[in-house]
Amino acid sequence: MNSFFQLITQHRVLASTLFLAVFPFIMPYEALAVNILIFGLFAMGFNLLFGYMGLLSFGHAAFLGIGSYLTGISIVHYELGWGTAIIVGVIGAAVGGLIMGFLAIRTRGIYFSMVTLALGQIVYYIFYKAESLTGGENGLRGVRVDSFNIFGIPVDFLNPLIKYYIILFFVVIAMWLISRILNSPLGAVMEAIRENEKRAAACGFDVAKTKLLVFILSAAICGLAGSLRALHLSIVPIDSLNYLQSGQAVMMSILGGMGTFFGPFVGAAVMLYLEDVVTTFTKYWMAVIGLIFMFFVLFFPKGIWGTILSKLQIHQDSK
Amino acid sequence: MNSATNIPILEARNVGKSFGKFKALQNVSTSFMPGTLTAIIGPNGAGKSTFFNVLSGAFPPSSGEILFNGKDITGMQQYEFARIGISKSFQITNVFKQLTVHENVRVAAQMEAARYNFLRSTQSYAGPIEVADQLLLRVNLEHLRNKKTGDLAHGQQRALEIAMALACNPSLLLLDEPTAGMSPEETLVMMELIRTLANERTVILVEHKMKLIMGLCKRIIVLHHGEFLAEGTPEEIQNNPEVRRVYLGQG
Amino acid sequence: MTGLTFELLCMQLLTGIALGSIYALLALGLCLIFGMLNVVNFAHGAFFMVGAFLGVYFLGVTGNFWFSLVLTPLLTGCLGLVTERFLVRPLYGRGLDYPLLLTFGLSYVLIELMRITFGIEGLPSITPDGLKGTVNVGIGYFPKYRLFLIAATALIVLGIWFLIQKTRYGLIIKAGAVDQEIVKVLGVDIAKVWLLVFGLGCAIAGLSGILASPTRSVNPEMGVPILAESFVVTVVGGMGSPVGAVVAGLLVGIVYSMTSLFYPDLAELSIFVLMAVVLLIRPQGLFGKAGAMG
Repeated sequence: MNSFFQLITQHRVLASTLFLAVFPFIMPYEALAVNILIFGLFAMGFNLLFGYMGLLSFGHAAFLGIGSYLTGISIVHYELGWGTAIIVGVIGAAVGGLIMGFLAIRTRGIYFSMVTLALGQIVYYIFYKAESLTGGENGLRGVRVDSFNIFGIPVDFLNPLIKYYIILFFVVIAMWLISRILNSPLGAVMEAIRENEKRAAACGFDVAKTKLLVFILSAAICGLAGSLRALHLSIVPIDSLNYLQSGQAVMMSILGGMGTFFGPFVGAAVMLYLEDVVTTFTKYWMAVIGLIFMFFVLFFPKGIWGTILSKLQIHQDSK
Repeated sequence: MNSATNIPILEARNVGKSFGKFKALQNVSTSFMPGTLTAIIGPNGAGKSTFFNVLSGAFPPSSGEILFNGKDITGMQQYEFARIGISKSFQITNVFKQLTVHENVRVAAQMEAARYNFLRSTQSYAGPIEVADQLLLRVNLEHLRNKKTGDLAHGQQRALEIAMALACNPSLLLLDEPTAGMSPEETLVMMELIRTLANERTVILVEHKMKLIMGLCKRIIVLHHGEFLAEGTPEEIQNNPEVRRVYLGQG
Repeated sequence: MTGLTFELLCMQLLTGIALGSIYALLALGLCLIFGMLNVVNFAHGAFFMVGAFLGVYFLGVTGNFWFSLVLTPLLTGCLGLVTERFLVRPLYGRGLDYPLLLTFGLSYVLIELMRITFGIEGLPSITPDGLKGTVNVGIGYFPKYRLFLIAATALIVLGIWFLIQKTRYGLIIKAGAVDQEIVKVLGVDIAKVWLLVFGLGCAIAGLSGILASPTRSVNPEMGVPILAESFVVTVVGGMGSPVGAVVAGLLVGIVYSMTSLFYPDLAELSIFVLMAVVLLIRPQGLFGKAGAMG
């Protein structure tokens, strides 16, 4: 069993891709699978900053929203192709990350969480008020992906399964990028800063600049998730920008296991699947997830995947 | 080692540091020549830690200047200190707890290599890995390289601190009570290590274990109430009436 | 903008002070909890909301505003005590983020609890009988309740100031905020202090809720934007500074009010922009200590 986990950890991107390739067949319906894919990516982008760098941002919904809205606006108002629209969304989110990160990184610790929440709300209000572009309270509608060709073969984006694999393509690229980042010197510096900022600075690392860089990368990935979401839903709801949406990324990371590669995806899958099931029994889902979340914070802070990993570690160390 | 050996490697000019109304340091002026091993001592509250923190870049002085090889570095940011060749170890062990021993030193050694490169894997950077290997051998932690630092004994963590401080190959090494909390055996080993380090680079040490310093350093600086009290060789310091008065009843 | 007179500006200023009073109180509660326990209470908006619901409920049931005004913070305070004792305390020493995360989860539960108890529509807000109507303040007619709000908040802030500055308990709270070890060494049961301070903070949040209830719609989501707004006040005033909390609270209320006079659409945005500006030029806030935060 151990060697299995070692194998998938070493080849994590490949393992994830293979699993996700068959994922829609284990889920009750494809739309849920697509949702999990998108929010899994959102959580992964968030986790880069939170789990690996130790910065708890409550404003990441802003990047999901910027990605969604800019992609949507590009298609609806400027009639750009969906590929270009995605790029616009990601770059827009990265710029948002630069601005928000620059302002927020001047603060420390828990203060950072407060500031990012409030900065995220600025983005929320801006998009809310720019009604002519965003549709205000009603959200943006009509984000359509026209039929297109890949190597001459026509692709029906409206087919849920095909939509899933196209989105999966982007998610895999993002995962590969994240994996490379984590394996790189930057990844080591990130973890060093998380463990001990003072010591990292004493070793010669510009902590502020590193935080900003990771903030931007994290924002870009969440922006991609947002872009994909807009294409998936064909609408952009204004609530995607509220800090409760940011809180969802936090919950998924904790549930799944922050600071681990598979954790955020596990968290997203568990949370969304659970929501799907629970809401058929009760409308009080918020209370249920609130209680579950508190339970995890108190008793399973490592999350599902994180706890599994640490149990294996103990098993391995005691051999 | 610098070629212009007439210039002090580090110099403090009229350094003062206040925290609100409290004056931790006042008008401290002294200099350190390259290749020397100097100890800074003083009774509790003398301002040793504050002076150490100012010299090592933890915070800037409220007044006065710090010069490194003749260049004014007052107010420079902490991370820049390591980049110009000044490195330090902390009094309270400050390591990267969740990382392994080897990873700790390897990250510290990364400063020389690309710090922001996120496309190459760390395994492909041989430099920091080799530096970490050598340093671990030097401080005798090679056999523990894959252990999480949280699992190390106190003395081993202190040794790791030193290894990390050495990782950026500093010309000036500042050590804040390196033997704090160590057993007598561990202390002897540490002292020997410091002696060899002093042969390669300039070392400045804050300590209050008098017997050790007397046998180890050729130059001692004494602080008292945040001010410069005396300096000299161990014999001169021991015979200094001011110092004896201040240390009456102590080691 | 016809009829923009000095009187109108003054009235709007007064409205801003009334709004700011609520912000000041909320931020003060947050500040106490943070200063003493190093915990940012992400359920603060939820406690505010619970206070509003309880206040309206008791007022409706008993018809007695003063009774509700005393009972509500007692209840939210007790809820705060229970929260600290069983949910937050186990997390000390685990890392600064954990209590924050827990209170965030708690806010979800509290919101849903109010939905279950009072319905998703919320309750219609009630202005207490004696405080209905307007009063001539010289420059115009100003709602009586809002005057009461300003006066009541001023009294409460004064009371808290007195508690912190002049009593033994306040001394312990102040000392504990600076150095917990010293306080423990002096034989004070720090756990009990944390418990009471958290309870006090939540009581203040609940009190703000009931005080604010006649001026806004009382529904389960009302606490959500309030949390963000309290954070704005805290950033502007300076983390951990009670003076900052009060001053910034009033300032934010005034900024909101004045902006809604000239650019009603941008009122909500304006206070966040204020915060962004403060972050840019003085990250530690107006009354915060340099280097501690920024």
